Amino acid sequence: LNFVFFIYFAVNTSGFLEGLVRGFKNGLSKEDYRHLTQCDTLEDLKLHLQGTGYGHFLANEPSPLTVSVIDEKLREKLVIEFEYIRNHAYKDLATFLDFIKYSYMIDNIILLITGTLHQRQLSELLPKCHPLGIFDQMETVTIASTTADLYNAILVDSPLAPFFKECISEEDLNEMNIEIIRNTLYKAYLEAFYDWCQQKGGATADVMCEILAFEADRRSIIITINSFGTELTKEDRAKLYPRRGKLYPDGLLELSKADEYEAVKRVSELYAEYKPLFDGTGNNPGDKTLEDKFFEHEVTLNVNSFMQQFQYGVFYSYVKLKEQECRNIIWIAECIAQRHRAKIDSYIPIM
Amino acid sequence: QSLFKMGSLFRSEEMCLAQLYLQSEAAFACVSELGELGLAQFRDLNPDVNAFQRKFVNEVRRCDDMERKLRFLEKEVKKDNLAIDDTDIITSKTDYRESFRVRTTEETVGLYNIYRERGKTHIQESLTASAQYNLVVYNISFIIFVAGVLMRDKISAFERVIWRACRGNVFLRYTEIEAELEDPHTGDKVNKYVFIVFFQGDQLKSRIKKICTGFRATLYPCPETPQERREIALGVMTRIEDLQTVLNQTADHRRMVLSQVALNIRVWLIKVRKIKAIYHTLNLFNKCLIAECWCPVVDIDRIQLALRRGTELSGSSVPSIMQQMQTKENPPTYNQTDKFTSGFQAIIDAFGVSNYREVNPAPFTIITFPFLFAVMFGDMGHGLLMFLFALYLVLKENRYMKHKPEDEIFKMMFDGRYLILLMGLFSIYTGFLYNECFSRSINIFGTSWNVRAMNFTLKNQHLTLDPNKPGVFRGYPYFYGIDPIWQSAENKITVQNSYKMKNAVLMGFAQMIFGLSLAFCNRRHFKDKLTLYCELLPQLLFLCALIGYLCMCILYKWSVWTVAQSNTAPSLLIGLIDMYMLTDPKSNNRVPLYTGQYQVQIFLVIVTVLCVPWMFLSKPYILYKRSKQKKGVPGGLDSQSDDDVAILHHENNDANYGKQEPESFDMSEVIIYQAIHTIEFCLSCISHTASYLRLWALSLAHSELSEVLWSMVMHTGLATSGTSGAILSFFVFWFFSSLTVSILLVMEGLSAFLHAIRLHWVEFQSKFYKGEGYIFSPFSFTLIVEGKV
Repeated sequence: LNFVFFIYFAVNTSGFLEGLVRGFKNGLSKEDYRHLTQCDTLEDLKLHLQGTGYGHFLANEPSPLTVSVIDEKLREKLVIEFEYIRNHAYKDLATFLDFIKYSYMIDNIILLITGTLHQRQLSELLPKCHPLGIFDQMETVTIASTTADLYNAILVDSPLAPFFKECISEEDLNEMNIEIIRNTLYKAYLEAFYDWCQQKGGATADVMCEILAFEADRRSIIITINSFGTELTKEDRAKLYPRRGKLYPDGLLELSKADEYEAVKRVSELYAEYKPLFDGTGNNPGDKTLEDKFFEHEVTLNVNSFMQQFQYGVFYSYVKLKEQECRNIIWIAECIAQRHRAKIDSYIPIM
Repeated sequence: QSLFKMGSLFRSEEMCLAQLYLQSEAAFACVSELGELGLAQFRDLNPDVNAFQRKFVNEVRRCDDMERKLRFLEKEVKKDNLAIDDTDIITSKTDYRESFRVRTTEETVGLYNIYRERGKTHIQESLTASAQYNLVVYNISFIIFVAGVLMRDKISAFERVIWRACRGNVFLRYTEIEAELEDPHTGDKVNKYVFIVFFQGDQLKSRIKKICTGFRATLYPCPETPQERREIALGVMTRIEDLQTVLNQTADHRRMVLSQVALNIRVWLIKVRKIKAIYHTLNLFNKCLIAECWCPVVDIDRIQLALRRGTELSGSSVPSIMQQMQTKENPPTYNQTDKFTSGFQAIIDAFGVSNYREVNPAPFTIITFPFLFAVMFGDMGHGLLMFLFALYLVLKENRYMKHKPEDEIFKMMFDGRYLILLMGLFSIYTGFLYNECFSRSINIFGTSWNVRAMNFTLKNQHLTLDPNKPGVFRGYPYFYGIDPIWQSAENKITVQNSYKMKNAVLMGFAQMIFGLSLAFCNRRHFKDKLTLYCELLPQLLFLCALIGYLCMCILYKWSVWTVAQSNTAPSLLIGLIDMYMLTDPKSNNRVPLYTGQYQVQIFLVIVTVLCVPWMFLSKPYILYKRSKQKKGVPGGLDSQSDDDVAILHHENNDANYGKQEPESFDMSEVIIYQAIHTIEFCLSCISHTASYLRLWALSLAHSELSEVLWSMVMHTGLATSGTSGAILSFFVFWFFSSLTVSILLVMEGLSAFLHAIRLHWVEFQSKFYKGEGYIFSPFSFTLIVEGKV
């Protein structure tokens, strides 16, 4: 019976796209990273990237190269690949791919609102938006002064509307507010995405729920750590935790009581997955930060997702891994450009 | 010359490793000359060095940059639909550097113009837009309003957001601008809308303006009175006219520059590519510009000449030196091909590139491949169609060579046009033998069977040809090929099966024996007497005693046994089984094929059985003996000889190919290897012979399929009489012909092609072909320009 299902998947759903994505995933090897870190200038970096799967994506750029150009082109390449897949997808896979886009949309909205609060020009902000998260009404968010405004005038038509329900209020937008909006949105988004995957079932649920649960827990932990020393009350903080991770419900309850880093660490150490992430982190030079550890764990999960066939997880993982790879390249490029070689090796390797 | 060519097809070219000592000022010119010649494959002398740490990396980078600029220009030229001059592809070998400089200046002019032109388009766009909206606005009255221009695909979202954000207190009107406008950044055509929003109050005004900027609408101030509007419109009109003239001028100028560019751009691109390739090659050399390259021995003179020419061109006084080196490394395989042989060589290379100086099966494939194909595809009509198709490709080849076909499948067929041509020809030939043309037979020489004697009447339409009945067979066979009367005989398939099956075995045996004789050539050439006597000879005996004897029996039975004896004739299959059961045919009351059969067969079985241990044990034993002897003499003399030549080598290189000699002798490995090969050969003798039966099977399938197509489709049309029959035949013919092409020609042709490939790769080449070499890929401008490297 499984066999029949596989054929159904391959023919009817996304066999072609899955194959494509597995081809796209083909990233930089350890060797490549080693060579990249040895580069002296960005031109060298470009020359070496030509020999990898990235090919001639910088071929039409005039010298001298800057890091921002490389970043832009890397993003463009990812977006072109993603849009190609999105255009060929239909039914469930299309919904799934849209879910991936939503997180970028949330980021973009928050970026624009924060920007307008700081009196930045729209033209200055737009290039910073992630191209995967661009939607029609996005640029008009600047007119809203309250969240209710934002929802009623703009977001009600956008796919983000269902996530917005919890954070409608008549309060004026300010810094604190925005952070809360961002996290509430993310919470709603993660929960919706998680539920969707669960309802989809099968291998997709196995793979995606694992990844999304981690994502939820990571957010909870980071929210807690970042809230120390701010006006955020513990009750409000507890409302921001996405309730789909492994920490839910007991861990989140404990987290909501925490008021220092050590407390968070104690809570996390109760969970086998997260204990090693806290071990060996620190702020001393040479130590890895907690954030890096989280990234590494995310990469592992995403790489594992490629071990299973006939499921949608690969699409998500592909985007996340590519993003990580781009971040790595940019990190290396920045180190080269600023002649700051000491930290050039602290990118997140992708196995 | 032609004899020499033939020889070089039989074995790959003799190669040698040569060292070049280039003067730094002459290196560029020398490498360029070598690139034009295309006969030297350079080795990478610094494999450990990164791409960006090499000597000429800056030059390569400059070429990259130049290529980028040229690509930009090409894009602009294409945008203007100017024809790019392709004719003068073969560029002269003039001085590269000069043209470099010329190009740079000319190109900056081009860039400047293009950018300026774009700036103008921008103004133009905005002005047209405002003019348009002025027209729209004429009959509109007055609260407060904002007017502007917006992209077409955003208008509905815009409308909704405006409505929501202002809680319905606005009035929006919009209309499409009929003319397509040009996007000033990309130059694409875009559709835009003119809109106007009416509202009350300043708060709404700021809000609407924000939304407008959010949607990237361009807003234009619009005075309230019609008078002023008219004035503005007039002003805009005149400004547009002014700008139009300026624009036209720039456009003309730009066109001029670009048409100049269009004439030269291909040449420039090719030059840049050549220069880049030269620097890439120079990057392979070691620090003192010493290069190592493989080159064919016969062409050394030409290479030296090219070096001298390069040195002269650069004006260097010190000559560049070329020196042959001794090496233990395997040289690359270089088979010279022309347009005719390249298709056949490609089939061989697809399986594996032959070892250096190994017998190349390609020249034999030229005949055997189309022949075996045709055995499976025997039909005059189909063969003719195939032949005509290939003939068309061959006749039009100059045109297709110039404009490379884009379509991959067509390109494949074009590359194999001579192969298809021969396949078609041979199919006509075998079709003639089978006497089949679209499954119909042609009676040319008059049948040699007498139907009347067979009691064939209109009532009893079953026609069974039985030569035993007196008077049926006239006593002499049909002059050539198969008698057309079999077409209507009931027992056609039975007769043809037996005939084609035996034929297949005969042809298979012939090809396998031929393969072994090529192996013999190989052994002689490599002076490998050990393998010759201990492996090849028993193999030959084994094959002959087993399959060769069967073939003998087939031929003997055909020639000696007559129709009258057909009831008592012995079965060859049972005979073969009896032979290996060691039973005397007489003891089972079977008729022997010939007298003394039992004794001969016993002898052959003994030979066969003896061959197996001979194949298996003799070679490992002798090798063992030799290794024992060698251990007595410590330190071979061989390692000394090449030291004096390889002066300038890196140590690691030296280690790579200087001292491979002292191989440790591992007896168990040799025995396992030999055992595998012995078993494989013995089994393959049977299985390969059986495999050749596909010749019969495919041929049967093909003729049956075309028969079915004729009787089910074409026949129904032809059998209907009267006007309706004529009309029906007309339509049926198209159906028939399209099915013939798609199924019989394309599908059946492909399957026969695949089977022919298999017979060559597996059954034929396994007898002698190693195919573990690597191909010679010279540094050649022609290959680089054609984009093959």
